This record gives sequence, structure tokens and C-alpha cells, in this order.
Amino acid sequence: MNQKSASKVEPAAKAGRYLTFRLGEESYGLPVLNVREIIRLCPITPVPRMPAHIKGVINLRGTVIAVFDLRAKFQLAPTSYGERTCIIVVQVVSPSGGSTLMGAIVDAVEEVVQLTADEIEATPDFGGAPDTQYILGLATSQGGVKTLLDIEKIFVEDGSLSLIPKSGPEPQSNPSR
Amino acid sequence: MLSDNPEESTIPNLAKTAEIIGQLGEELAFVAPNQDAGLLPINRCVMDLEELAERDIPLSVTAGLKVARGWLDQTLDGPGKFTEETIRDFNGWHAWMTSVLLAWERGTDMPAWPEGWDADHPPAAGAEVGNTVATASTSGDEELPIHLNLAEDLEFLREFHGESVELLQDIEQGILVLEDNPTDAGTIDSIFRAFHTFKGGAGFLHLEALRDLAHDLESLLDAVRRSELRITFEIIDLILAGADALKHFTQEIGAQIQGTNPGAPILVATRQIIGRVQSILRGETEPVPALQDMGTQFDAAGTTEELSAPTAEISEQPAAPKHRSTKASASRESVVTASSGFVKLDTSKLDNLVDIVGELVIAQSMVVQNPDVQKINSLQLVRCLRQLSRITTELQRNAMSLRMVPIRGMFHKMNRLVRDLAAQQHKQVQLVLEGEETELDRNLVEKLSDPLVHMIRNAVDHGLEYPADRIANGKPESGTIRLSASHQRGGIVIRIQDDGRGLDARRILAKALERELVKDSASLNEAEIFALIFLPGFSTAEKVTDLSGRGVGMDVVRRNIESLRGKIEIQSVRGEGTTFTILLPLTLAIIDGLLVGVGSDRYIIPTLSIRESFRPRPGMVSTVQEQGEVVSVRGRQTPVLRLGRYLGTTSSVVNPEDGIIVVVESGDSARGLLVDELIGKQEVVIKSLGEVFEQQNILAGGAVLGDGWVGLILDVDTLVKMPYLPPAASPAAPPLS
Repeated sequence: MNQKSASKVEPAAKAGRYLTFRLGEESYGLPVLNVREIIRLCPITPVPRMPAHIKGVINLRGTVIAVFDLRAKFQLAPTSYGERTCIIVVQVVSPSGGSTLMGAIVDAVEEVVQLTADEIEATPDFGGAPDTQYILGLATSQGGVKTLLDIEKIFVEDGSLSLIPKSGPEPQSNPSR
Repeated sequence: MLSDNPEESTIPNLAKTAEIIGQLGEELAFVAPNQDAGLLPINRCVMDLEELAERDIPLSVTAGLKVARGWLDQTLDGPGKFTEETIRDFNGWHAWMTSVLLAWERGTDMPAWPEGWDADHPPAAGAEVGNTVATASTSGDEELPIHLNLAEDLEFLREFHGESVELLQDIEQGILVLEDNPTDAGTIDSIFRAFHTFKGGAGFLHLEALRDLAHDLESLLDAVRRSELRITFEIIDLILAGADALKHFTQEIGAQIQGTNPGAPILVATRQIIGRVQSILRGETEPVPALQDMGTQFDAAGTTEELSAPTAEISEQPAAPKHRSTKASASRESVVTASSGFVKLDTSKLDNLVDIVGELVIAQSMVVQNPDVQKINSLQLVRCLRQLSRITTELQRNAMSLRMVPIRGMFHKMNRLVRDLAAQQHKQVQLVLEGEETELDRNLVEKLSDPLVHMIRNAVDHGLEYPADRIANGKPESGTIRLSASHQRGGIVIRIQDDGRGLDARRILAKALERELVKDSASLNEAEIFALIFLPGFSTAEKVTDLSGRGVGMDVVRRNIESLRGKIEIQSVRGEGTTFTILLPLTLAIIDGLLVGVGSDRYIIPTLSIRESFRPRPGMVSTVQEQGEVVSVRGRQTPVLRLGRYLGTTSSVVNPEDGIIVVVESGDSARGLLVDELIGKQEVVIKSLGEVFEQQNILAGGAVLGDGWVGLILDVDTLVKMPYLPPAASPAAPPLS
């Protein structure tokens, strides 16, 4: 699909400023306009019966916001949270039109970079894995490759922000005695 | 008689008067031509004096005050600045007043009345000094448009607009009270003051047409106030018409502030209303056509202002001069009320405040619970910390109550609605309000307004019959709509009850079948048929009236209410009436919650749905088919839900005897929740978990706990109504064998 011709496929990512952060050894970028603030990891209240990547909710100065673990979302190997782990609070426009704040747990925040159109290229086809639906494009900057993420898509599942819990009575096990 | 100074008991009010005159003299020393500095302080002094004049003070002082008032009004209405002439006048006045004071104190003859002073020609009559604005606008025979100076006055206009909206509400409300009780002095006073404040604002912004109208309405009310006129329906209608004209102005101003047609002239028909007011004030009961009225306008204006001749006032009628001063003191009163009664502020500021106070509470408890702080062995510190937590708690309580408002305001809006609808449809309707003081979150009030208006319209339009039909059916001629609010069952219940014809189940069903909203008619009971009116696309309104049937159906009402997590129910008896019951949970408000621990997690259970909680004794819990568990509560077997297992968290409780059973109920059913421990009771503000968690129904919301963590509020309804056998196989449940 995607060829290395001179007339390159128009990447979905636009030139502009991106906040870059790390998940393990990899570097990712989010449009700065979506980022509201960066906070230290704080106590997260787990919400029952939610997919694994939804870590729970936190209190952001009186507002309750949902927190996702991007590692879990991208099915990376889980690590324990360290000194530099933090939560990027992003503003997401929901399909219903409103905007919602959400938190994304990342290993470390790097910096804000200005990316030109030349530095961004379209997402290559990996042939199935990894899943590229959340990727806007790849950026090569300062010798490293940064994956630019489509923040809206990450938080929107099935055309809705709502994450229907994997519920429904599961097979009944014997009550423990 | 009140005397502020006990030493002056022989000559009451002298010292106070002298003091104010002295102040006024000081202010006079600072004024300069073509500047407005000092104008308001002097006005204030004169108003203070006018208030004193209601008590026992010499007629010369009162008469002198009227002169000063005339000059002041001219200056305030006109240029808004002092001129050399007015300064000279005021200086002369001050000198004369001082000599009057001296004579008063000594009991000698009052000084002679200076030449050229005219105590009985108030500015509206356009006496000797060119008071062109007022004269032109009162005597002109065409409608004068008003122009807004948006560039300069935007802030003032915005303030004026906001204030006016409230004043108009007060006026409308007052009129409705007057209809029932025409002699209610307090209400007449409050309407009078509202018009007065209106006039002041309009005058300040040079909105002449508006000011004149408010002025005349004020005069009308004033005459009523002084029992010179009796309230009649004509007068009430006139006041309403006037209020509507003012409302029209206000709306236009609002639109221009919002940016619609900025600067366009605003024209509202006021002359006819003014003409009618003036003819009533002259004692003519029949309203005369506006044109015919014009010739007498000058006198009319004079009459509205002063009702007796100048000499008579000074020499023999001490009551008459009070008129001016009564007004002035009223204006002062309203100013005071406005500044001390209510503050309007942006709701986002309020929400921010509540959030920040929440943060403060958390920070405070973090300090108190800090291990290092706890190590400090200081009685003083302990005392300080206790004081700190007391104050923060108090602050939080106060901040939270700021968002709670009584439902009164919204209920009263319905008064006007019902009145208009009834008049329009020639029905007689009585609106009975109950539980107006019920407090609810202001956000809730806002969102409730539309559905309520709609249902009231429905009740008048379709619910109540025409008087003739009512009499024929043996009912009182006048229909009753009862609107009530109360706190019940952990929520708010709002009821709209009419004694009209009731719902016609057959017709509703026929309509629903016709619109293909239902298929099989046989299987529906009456309640289900009534519920059909909430379906989109259903509307029994056969004709569209001005107010109801604008394409908004009951489906929208239900949607609105459900968006507030509320419920709406209908009861109706054919021929006897219909009752709509809106149940609103306090989800937007504060709830009392019981904090329970399950494993390492904590959950909040709304206290109102808890029946009891206890530690079960061995044998109280028995199993059914080895899977279901029931606990015997007061002889009744109640199903048990192991919360930890259900929610998929690790619970340390294996035997029910190690945990606590919290019996919760919803509707008629109950369930015992098995939790690890009770942590405490807490008042919490329910926060939405956001769109992410909209689809789940286990949690009703979240709340920020004292330590900054978010506590999750359980949706008891779900926990009680879910299938009896708990879906226990959560990943965290310890596997057997």
C-alpha cells in the first residue's frame, strides 16, 4: 500500500508542536494543543469491571477524570511505575460534541518539539501488527523516530467515548469457602 | 420620634440635620464647574436629609430640600456636571440653610424665603431652567427611540440588563400577589421600588423613553402607595403592560449586548401606556386616547410629582412635602437592599470556588495526617490544627450551600405563565405552589425549567377544561394546578397535579396505533398506555397554540429529566385529573454516604438507600444451592451480594461473619451487601465520572474524599435489581481447588 515513492502519501499528522514522551525505549508524540497539563502520578482509584488499560479515576483539583495506561492500551509489557512516570492530561473532543479531560499514564515526558511537514511521514503498513489505527504518522527528529498518536482515537472506542465494560455474567464459579 | 443624639432631645433631628448640612458644605467646597466630582456625595447628603424630613423638622428645611432636590435632579438628568450657576445656587442654598439651622436652634424666626427659589416646580414640569430632556420626552407626541452607546456603556448596560431582568421578575411576581391581595402594602412598595430602581438605571444610561415610562409607572404606584388610588384591574393591567414594554426594551438591550444589531434604535410603544397612566393619575377612570392627552401633559407631569400648591405645602400641609422625601428614602432603601442582599456572579466562579475549597479541605487533612506533623508533641499545634480543620469544614459547608437555591424562583415564573395561558384560553386557573423553599442544586433548577414550563402549558392547554364544561361536570369553575416540591426518598420530588379531564387512554392508544408506535393493543395496561405519550413522535395536541405544541413533545421532557438521572411518572384518573411526578435523585447535589472498605478499595453507599448494617452472627447467612446466599434480616431472607467478588476486587472476607452486611434497598426490593469494613459516614459532593463511564451502571458517580482520593459511589439501584445470582467469576476471585 504505502510506497517509498517521492510523491509520498499525505500523513495524517500535521506540522506543528508536539509533546513527546516515552513508553519504554520508544518515543511518542501528542499534539500540544490537546495537552492540558502534566501531573505527577497520584493515587488512582481503580474502577471495577473495566478493561485493563483503564487504570481508574483521579481527582484533578476537584474534577474526577479517567486515567488510561498507554502501555496497557498498546499492549506493551507492563512495568512498575517509576520516578518519572507521570500523567498527561489531555482534552479530547468526544463524538457527542463535548470535550472531556482524560489522563494518560506514560513512563516519562520528554519535551515539546516543533515538527515540520518534512519531518513527518505517513504511517507505514506493518502488515497487521502492530495496530496502526491510533497512529497519525512517524516523525524523524533529532535522530530519533517518534510515533505521533491520534489522541482522539485512543480514547474513543466504537464511535463512543464510553467503554462498555466487559460485563455480562461470566460463568459462575463455585463460591469460595 | 427618633433622635440620634440624646442631648438634642429638646430639638429632635437638629443635630443630625446640622451634621449633614455640614458634610454637604464640605462636599460643596470641592466641586468645580464642568465636573461631576461631588455630585453624588451631595445627592447622598440631600437624600439623607430627605429621609430626616419624614420626621419632625421645620417646614423651611423641608421646603429648602425640595429646591435642592429640584436642582440636583436637573443636574443629574441633564448635563451630569456642575455649572458655575449651579455651584452658585448650591452655595447660596447652603448659606441659607445654615441660617435656617441657626434660627431652628435658637427658636427665632426662620429667615426669609430667597427670591427665585421655586419649591413647587420640580424638573419634570420644566420650570425656569432649561430642562429640555425631560420636557421634550414627556410632551412629545411621538414614540422616541432609544439609542445605546455600546462603545462606552457596555459594562453598565450589561449590569443594567441583568438588574432589569430581575426587577421585572419582581414586578411580575408582585402584580400577581396584588391581584389576590390588592392592599398588600409590602408588595406595592416593592413594585414601586423596582420601578424606581429601573428609572434610576435608565436615567443614568440616558435611555429617556425607558426612564419616562418607569417614572410614570412609579408615580402610579406611588399614588397607590399613598392610598390616593385604589388598585383596580385596570391598574394591574396597566402595570403589566408597562412591565411588558420595559421587558421588551430589556430584551432588545440584551440582544444588542450580545451583538445583534448593535447601535440600532430601539423603539417600543410607550406613549399610550404613559397616557393611560397619566389619565388615571388625574382621576379619569377611562383611558383617553394618547393624542387627546397631549395638551394636558404638562399639568399631568406636575400632578404626578406634587399634588398641592407650594404655599399650602409650606404653611399648612406638612404631609405633602413628604412625597419627595419618601421617594428619595425609598430609592435609598433599594440601593441598600441591592448592595447588601444579593451578589450576582458568574457560575463558573462559584464552581471554581467549591473546587478550590475542596482542595483546601484535602490539603488541610494532609497536613493533619502527615506523620511528621503528628510526631510533634505540642499542645498548641494540636489546638491550631483543630481550629484549622474546624474553619475548613465550615468553609466547605458554606461553599457547598452556595450552589443550593430554593426552587421558589422557578415556581414563581410559572405564575405568570399560568396567568397568561389562562387569560388567552379563557380558562380559570388557580396555581397552587407548595414546597417553594425546597433547595436544590442550581444546575438542576436551570435544567428543570424547560420541562416544567412545558408540562404546565400542557396542563392548562389540554388538562383543564373550559369553565362551562367544568360546571357541567360538577367541578368548581376554576381549575387548580398544584405544583409542589419536596425532599423524599433521598431525592427531590416535583409534582404537577391538575384537576382537569385526565388522560384518555383509548385516545392515546388509538393515536399510538395510528402512528405505529405500538403494534398490539391488547397487551398494554393503563399505565403502559399513559407512558406512550413519552414516545418521540407522539403528540395528542390537535391544534397548535401559541404556547404549547411548538414541536416539543413529552419525549423531550422525559429526555431532559432522564439526563438529570431522574424519572417521570404519570397517574391519571379520567375526569378527575392528571398528576405528573418527577423524581430527581440528588446526583447533582451533596449526599450523605457511608464509606465502606472492600479489600484495598473504598466505596460510598448513599446513606438514604441503606436500611441497616450489622455484623452477621454465625448461622445468619445460609446458602441456596451452594451458590446463592441469603441473610435473615428481621425474619426475612434477604439475598446477599458479596461486593468484593461482584466488583472483582480482592476481599479479605471469606466467612460472612468476618465482614459487615449493609442492607440496601431500592424500590421494594432489598439486598445485603457484604463488605469488609465500615470506614465512616461522610458528606460528599457527587461528581460525574465523565463520558468514559457513562455506559456502566454499577457506579452512580465519584466523590473526592478527605485524603484526595476519589471514592466511587455505588449505584444501589443496579446492585439491588441485578439478577439474584451474583456473577462471581471475576478474575480476582480466588480460584477454588
